[in-house]
Amino acid sequence: MNKTKHIILLALIINFQFLISNSFAQVETPAPAQTKSILLMNGVAHLGNGNLIENSVIAFKEGKLTMVADARVVKIDPKAFDTIINIQGKHVYPGFIAPNSTLGLVEIDAVRATEDMNETGNFTPHVRSLIAYNAESKITTTVRSNGVLMAQITPRGNTVSGTSSIVQFDAWNWEDAAYKKDDGIHVNWHRMYNPWTGKANEKYSENVNELKTFFADALAYSKVAEYPEKNLRFESMRGLFNGAQTLYIHTNYVKEITDAVYFAKAYDIKKVVLVGGYDAWMVADMLKDNNVSVMLKRVHDLPINQDDDVYLPYKLPKKLMDTGVLFCLENAGDMEAMNTRNLPFLAGTTVAYGLTKEQALQLITLNTAKILGIDATCGSLEPGKDATLFISTGDALDMKTNNVEQAFIQGRAIDLDNHQKKLFKKYSEKYAK
Amino acid sequence: MIRFILVSFLLGSFIFAKAQETFITNGTKNKIQNYYAFKNATIFVDYQTKIENGVLIIKERKVVEVGTTSAVKIPANAVVYDLKGKFIYPSLIDIYTDYGMPKVEKDGKSRFSQQFETEKKGAYNWNQAVHPEVESGQLFTVEDKKAEELRKLGFGTVLTHQQDGIVRGTSALVTLANDQANQVMINDKVASHLSFNKGSSTQDYPGSLMGSIALIRQTYYDVDWYFNNKNLPEYNISLAKMMENWELPSIFEVQDKLDILRADKIGDEFEMQYIFKGVGDEYERISEIKATGGKLIVPVNYPEAYDVADPYAAMLVPFSDLKKWEMAPYNLGIIAKNQVDFAITTAGLKETKIFFENLRKAIKNSLSEQDALKALTYSPANFVKAYDKVGSLEKDKLANFIITSSNLFDEKNIVYENWIKGTKYIINDYNILDIRGNYNLKIAEKVYALKVKGELESPSGEIQFINKNDSGKVDTTNISVNIKLQTNNISLNFNPNDDFSKNTIRLSGYVNYNTVIWEGKGQLASGEWLNWSAIKGEKLKEDKTKTDTTKTDTIIVPKMYYPNMSFGFDSIPKAETILIKNTTVWTNEAEGILKNTDVLLKDGKIVQIGKDLVADSALVVDGTNKHLTAGIIDEHSHIAISRGVNECTQAVTAEVSIADVVDCDDINIYRQLAGGVVASQLLHGSCNPIGGQSALIKLKWGSSPEEMKIKDTDGFIKFALGENVKQSNWGAFNRSRFPQTRMGVEQVYYDAFIRAKEYQNAWNAFATLPPKVKETSYAPRIDLEMETLNEILNKERFISCHSYVQSEINMLMHVADSMDFRVNTFTHILEGYKVADKMKAHGAGGSTFSDWWAYKFEVNDAIPYNAAIMNKQGIVTAINSDDAEMGRRLNQEAAKSVKYGEMSEEDALKMVTLNPAKLLHLDNQMGSIKVGKSADVVLWTANPLSIYATVDKTIIEGVIYFDRANDELLQKKFAAEKNVLIEKMLDVKKNGGKTQKPQAKPKQLYHCDTVGE
Repeated sequence: MNKTKHIILLALIINFQFLISNSFAQVETPAPAQTKSILLMNGVAHLGNGNLIENSVIAFKEGKLTMVADARVVKIDPKAFDTIINIQGKHVYPGFIAPNSTLGLVEIDAVRATEDMNETGNFTPHVRSLIAYNAESKITTTVRSNGVLMAQITPRGNTVSGTSSIVQFDAWNWEDAAYKKDDGIHVNWHRMYNPWTGKANEKYSENVNELKTFFADALAYSKVAEYPEKNLRFESMRGLFNGAQTLYIHTNYVKEITDAVYFAKAYDIKKVVLVGGYDAWMVADMLKDNNVSVMLKRVHDLPINQDDDVYLPYKLPKKLMDTGVLFCLENAGDMEAMNTRNLPFLAGTTVAYGLTKEQALQLITLNTAKILGIDATCGSLEPGKDATLFISTGDALDMKTNNVEQAFIQGRAIDLDNHQKKLFKKYSEKYAK
Repeated sequence: MIRFILVSFLLGSFIFAKAQETFITNGTKNKIQNYYAFKNATIFVDYQTKIENGVLIIKERKVVEVGTTSAVKIPANAVVYDLKGKFIYPSLIDIYTDYGMPKVEKDGKSRFSQQFETEKKGAYNWNQAVHPEVESGQLFTVEDKKAEELRKLGFGTVLTHQQDGIVRGTSALVTLANDQANQVMINDKVASHLSFNKGSSTQDYPGSLMGSIALIRQTYYDVDWYFNNKNLPEYNISLAKMMENWELPSIFEVQDKLDILRADKIGDEFEMQYIFKGVGDEYERISEIKATGGKLIVPVNYPEAYDVADPYAAMLVPFSDLKKWEMAPYNLGIIAKNQVDFAITTAGLKETKIFFENLRKAIKNSLSEQDALKALTYSPANFVKAYDKVGSLEKDKLANFIITSSNLFDEKNIVYENWIKGTKYIINDYNILDIRGNYNLKIAEKVYALKVKGELESPSGEIQFINKNDSGKVDTTNISVNIKLQTNNISLNFNPNDDFSKNTIRLSGYVNYNTVIWEGKGQLASGEWLNWSAIKGEKLKEDKTKTDTTKTDTIIVPKMYYPNMSFGFDSIPKAETILIKNTTVWTNEAEGILKNTDVLLKDGKIVQIGKDLVADSALVVDGTNKHLTAGIIDEHSHIAISRGVNECTQAVTAEVSIADVVDCDDINIYRQLAGGVVASQLLHGSCNPIGGQSALIKLKWGSSPEEMKIKDTDGFIKFALGENVKQSNWGAFNRSRFPQTRMGVEQVYYDAFIRAKEYQNAWNAFATLPPKVKETSYAPRIDLEMETLNEILNKERFISCHSYVQSEINMLMHVADSMDFRVNTFTHILEGYKVADKMKAHGAGGSTFSDWWAYKFEVNDAIPYNAAIMNKQGIVTAINSDDAEMGRRLNQEAAKSVKYGEMSEEDALKMVTLNPAKLLHLDNQMGSIKVGKSADVVLWTANPLSIYATVDKTIIEGVIYFDRANDELLQKKFAAEKNVLIEKMLDVKKNGGKTQKPQAKPKQLYHCDTVGE
């Protein structure tokens, strides 16, 4: 059999995709399940676990990776693969994962009708992001075309904001999208200082006590399996106490972090993740002792305090890496949904301020998967894991070279077109006439 | 007892008060024509003339004579006071008070729409915060509780006004006597008062500091118009009153040192020199303040030390706030050293009683006592043209003086009496007997050891018992003795609980012989009467344990920084000759990117580009493996702005200007430098179709606002379209301001420009009127809004228009074409790609975001390919920030044009350098590396479009404003300095000083749609 026959040029694929997706009204169609085995040859493979293979062979079948190896040391039988793609000079990455995201919960920030992330009430652990997740958000398609292929969809607001779920970005509906349902509950820790005025919060202890009371009740409730009258809030929290769910505590200030960690310990919560963690590096030992990992706040941010190193937000990943705390990057903040597509560049910036590229990559792939508890099946390019990966013509962490040519979610070749590319094409054609 | 004396005395003075001329007398006439003579005192006739052993003679409210006791003859009918060892000073004057003023409070009514007009009824000004007609002299009533507080400190005269609004009206000069207001008032109209704070006005306009500035300027123009024209169509009491009061001294209350410079600029425009009432931070910009020529009224309300015992809490308090605490007591000394005239005020003190404590801190920190006294007597009197009446003790001046125990500024000084217009107020009775000491108290035959101690006015006693227990050990017990002294009558009671009495003994008696012997009768619990006496032994030694810790302070003024915060410079930096060797130069010119090239910067300019350059005494920077580019220019920024980025209150606010409110102390200036930004257009926000004028600044960290502004360049103004101007996202209550639709927006523009043209026509027509006709007619009114719009029509000011969707962009170009002006730049312009051909035809540039979208409905079709398409269509295209965070990595944003739309790297870099320079008409001096252009360059560690590039140096006009290596040093330096101050604050706490809770200082970040201050 002629080997070249099987090598499909990516340029062709992309042209083909442009041809088939000329309609404007709806978002791109989910891809069919992988039926044919695929072999990617000779690409620079960034595994996501810290390792790099300069010249790799990567194979996947029925949605799972079957081989990830150095092309120089393995023998390949081309007949064993339905499709062989030569990606020499190009880069392969595991799909990036965006934790603590509101993608799909809001379409247009300023239009209230499109917003489903902030429920009313102070303690709403029982509200679930998954069922509000819009698998057909126009934003998501612009995010995955930069290499971000999965996210943790997280409610916002309140003291206990609700329950998050993890999704992948190629789905007809939220049921299809769900990767790990109801993975954890999110607490917005009380602030000791008003973030706008800087004044001390005189009610801090009162606020924290209120939260403690709530958790004490939830813990006691969880000791009995059945009640004649169910309390939906407490029902939703059982997983925290039996280890099935993670408690995500969102806070940045060192004293609040310490308070929060000891709080979680006091209520016998098995899995605790700190979200934000601006000051986490200052109490790294305490975090390690208590097995707390961190989702570090948006790297592209201003320092919180006037006297801080002007580059501190860029340098925090290096500082935290040096402590040995397990952490990943998150992107909450202004315009967070649309900004998810810049997640790769948050990682890129950390390289300019101290990390290696492979370390930086871990912060948006394997580390994220570990913290979310999904690393058994995704987060790195390793045999047996999902074939959720993409090919970029250049370094995907640098905006100058990030150019995603093809992406696969669980082996499915997804359509990388989006609303914005269509408009680009439409108006480029207008002016070409 | 003091209270008793005061009360009885005040009753007396009240009777005298009734004797004023225009009032009827109830009872017998009581005119006192005696002299009062105060002899053997140390007299300060004025702040610089001291008479030892002097005499002061007063009669009927006035000073008659002052001189040495030996030289002055005391009239026969004089009541003579011997003040041996005591001091006399002219009483102090505070010209910034609201003494005796009714309280003003903003009415708390909730309003469900904007208030466009004043709620003050009557023929007054259109703006509720402009009320020059308020005459505080008419509002004044005597308020003795407050007067007493000030009298205790030694004040005798104050200037008072109702501290409300922007143009506040006039103040009155009054004494602090407890008397009929007619007696108390010296002058009912003394000075006029202004501020930037609209106070109780409920009218929306002005909603920002720049709005206040514009309002004051417009009001002055209105006064000018009102003054110079006859036959006007309206009567305006407010303007008439301002005319009437034009010559009065004008006192301007500010909120910080930069406000002084802002207010002075207004004054300069109208030949008005204000006296500035500052807040105590004048030292931070003293040379600029000195240059204003204005006098100052300065408070001594120093910030309290922070409680920094918790290091995590201390971490949140910025160094700048600690520094303000450290520097505050040096302020007056620094002002005096710079020879700026100033008066001292009690304004702003939480408690007036700490006035002298704080003033003494200033004196310990290099303010001379003479300057202090001058600032409390001569200067305030002189500032308000009242030195002919108060401020010294020359003949015929008011008999306003104080008698003190010692030097006024001495820590142990006691103010005994405060005489106001010849009437005595006893503060501390110097006739009080000092009975403190050790006595042998003998009751019948029993003798106790009595010790009297405590305050002079409220002594307390204790009796010591010495007990020997069985083992021969000696211990002492004290029982307290309750002592009351009224004139010479004394009473004591105590319970010795001993063999003599198990119950309370009560004694009453009289203090004789200069306190040496007390004697009288007492009663035991049994009812038995006894004789008693107490005979003084040795005098009580003064308690020396209270050492004066402040004495150890040196008069070395702490180091200041420019600005006075972390990362500030030691002094304002100067341009250097810099030779950057062997680097990759992105010229942005036809030469393209030059490798291994040298660039020489000298006198703030780029002077040479080439290979193997040499320069004498140049700072040589090795650029090997680095990249040199023109500095980044941010076309759309909202950093470094004080108190409001938007004047949202009207649809057209062309009269306001961001250039009036540049804040040189914003840490984000330094942070932008760290991202390679050298210049920014500080734009007004986008909440109205025609917003305010811009400021074009270079980020010269450490300089004053004026020095940061780019000189001799075209002016710019912000326009805006779409959701923000129609208030779409403002909630349900903002439906009243026109326009609420894009349809209305168009009409706002037509209306504004047609009015502007008519305005110009009216002036032109007036100019051509024959002189005779002119006399019977009146000139058009100068309207700052119309003036600005005519600058646009005359191509002297250029538009940067916030815009999103194609329909509105198209609309504005049509308006512009039909009204004969050009839209210079569409900013944001996220649908620019849809109308690029039309923009090209109109001649508009575009300054856009790299990839923002989905934050509101009108950006639904925003695409990151926008810049590339516009650029390809030949539009001058820039990428801007509108965001303090993104502003410092605009190189990354430019790089996104390579990703989205495959722009060449050279073109991409121009998006943030040369192209914004072109849009801002600065490309003749900035934006590329070309001989003759300003030395505004950035040295990068890698290709500047790579995410892996960081800034090594940012240079503006030959000054290295940011240097990565130096930045590391600065962090260490300021961390160390901060710890020194923390240590000092801990000492304050340890020594029982007052502290305040730590407070973080989050920086308010402005965006286009930020409303309010």
